[in-house]
Amino acid sequence: MIAKDNNEIKIEVNGLKKSFGKLHVLRGIDAEIRAGEVICVIGPSGSGKSTFLRCLNRLEEISGGEIIVDGESITDPKADVDKIRQHIGMVFQSFNLFPHYTVKENVMLAPVELKLKSKAEAEQKALDLLNRVGLADKADAKPRQLSGGQQQRVAIARALAMEPDIMLFDEPTSALDPEMVCEVLDVMKELAAEGMTMVVVTHEMGFAHDVADRVFFIDQGVIMEEGTPVEVMDHPQNERTKSFLSKVL
Amino acid sequence: MNLFGVLQESWPMLMEGLGMTVRITVLSLIIALIVGIFVCLMNISSNKVLRGIAKFYIWLIRGTPMLVQAFYFYFALPQLVQGLTGTQFRIDIFTASLVTLSMNAGAYISEIFRGSIEAVPKGQMEASRSLGLSYAKTMQKIILPQAVRICLPSLVNQFIITLKDSTILYAIGLAEIMNKAKIYVGRTMESFATYTWVAIFFLAIVTVLSLVSRYVERRMNA
Repeated sequence: MIAKDNNEIKIEVNGLKKSFGKLHVLRGIDAEIRAGEVICVIGPSGSGKSTFLRCLNRLEEISGGEIIVDGESITDPKADVDKIRQHIGMVFQSFNLFPHYTVKENVMLAPVELKLKSKAEAEQKALDLLNRVGLADKADAKPRQLSGGQQQRVAIARALAMEPDIMLFDEPTSALDPEMVCEVLDVMKELAAEGMTMVVVTHEMGFAHDVADRVFFIDQGVIMEEGTPVEVMDHPQNERTKSFLSKVL
Repeated sequence: MNLFGVLQESWPMLMEGLGMTVRITVLSLIIALIVGIFVCLMNISSNKVLRGIAKFYIWLIRGTPMLVQAFYFYFALPQLVQGLTGTQFRIDIFTASLVTLSMNAGAYISEIFRGSIEAVPKGQMEASRSLGLSYAKTMQKIILPQAVRICLPSLVNQFIITLKDSTILYAIGLAEIMNKAKIYVGRTMESFATYTWVAIFFLAIVTVLSLVSRYVERRMNA
């Protein structure tokens, strides 16, 4: 693995807090993520890992602390949230493709609507991306005609169409049948190899172990332990990490 | 009891009444759709006052029978205005009928719109916003096109209800089909034949509406 320790800091999270009413989901998260790093976030369900991810593109409004991307605070009330999201792609557990558009239109929609590309350019780009995720032949299909794994690959292509420099994955394989998990993970591995900065909330321990540069173990709203996969997953120090890993491995 | 003889003789009167029924229904539904859109937008807005007004309006309409609403618009409100301003104030039957029917349908249609927007999965809004599209663009390109498909069956259902409910306006004297039928029966005593034809007319219109809606639905889902 190439050392990314000297890369610039891409995302800086300081004292991030998030509560839903009286429920404190995130209770002070500090993290630095460098350009090109692949971070896998693991932890028990309800630990706050998805909430943490959703704060990174402000799908959740934070309750305290700050998040800095490329040196600029994105949690500043004056920050243009639409602009920020244009270079942070996100892939959801339930794909969330737009059912009333074809696969190709799903991928083209954002660049065309935001006037970043002409229709023809966006279409070419969409076809290239679909080709890359192995779905060029499905360009004119509707999402519901696709399997879960195929839909998720389209969702990745749709996010990539905005040419993001950060990609967030929120349990991208949790809603998939087991035989389709691989095809999605393979696309993600390729992205990682190309140097995309990625934050992946996942239950795929094998993927985390093989692909992540660093693993965050989140529990009870804080990062309990972080480090390389070997450190965190093979030689956990924290009792809670040990107990979690013993249950999932 | 001669069905076809009665149909032939009552045809001009019943058609006149049916014409009024269709006219008041179509006009009311057009107004109600516009009212429905605005009330729905108020109802889902983040502004508390707008939301309060929308909810109050829906509460009023849903909580009172349409017959009471018709009497209110035709008799009660003019008297109130007259009392407050001290000047003669009247409202004609057609206007009162139009207001009653469109305010009534508008409340229900706004709820149909709201329900349909809320029926679009939350992930659709999130996926679109995560791409950097604004709330307005997301509404326009992602949420509303899906909501329209969802609302169609309920909307046609409301059209049918409003068409049938327009007969209630008979009570304030609107010259719609029941009114004409009643006059014809009063003159000829042919109640069985006359009301049978009135029922058949409604059945025919409602059947056509249902068929059209099923056709449109099937085309939209294709």
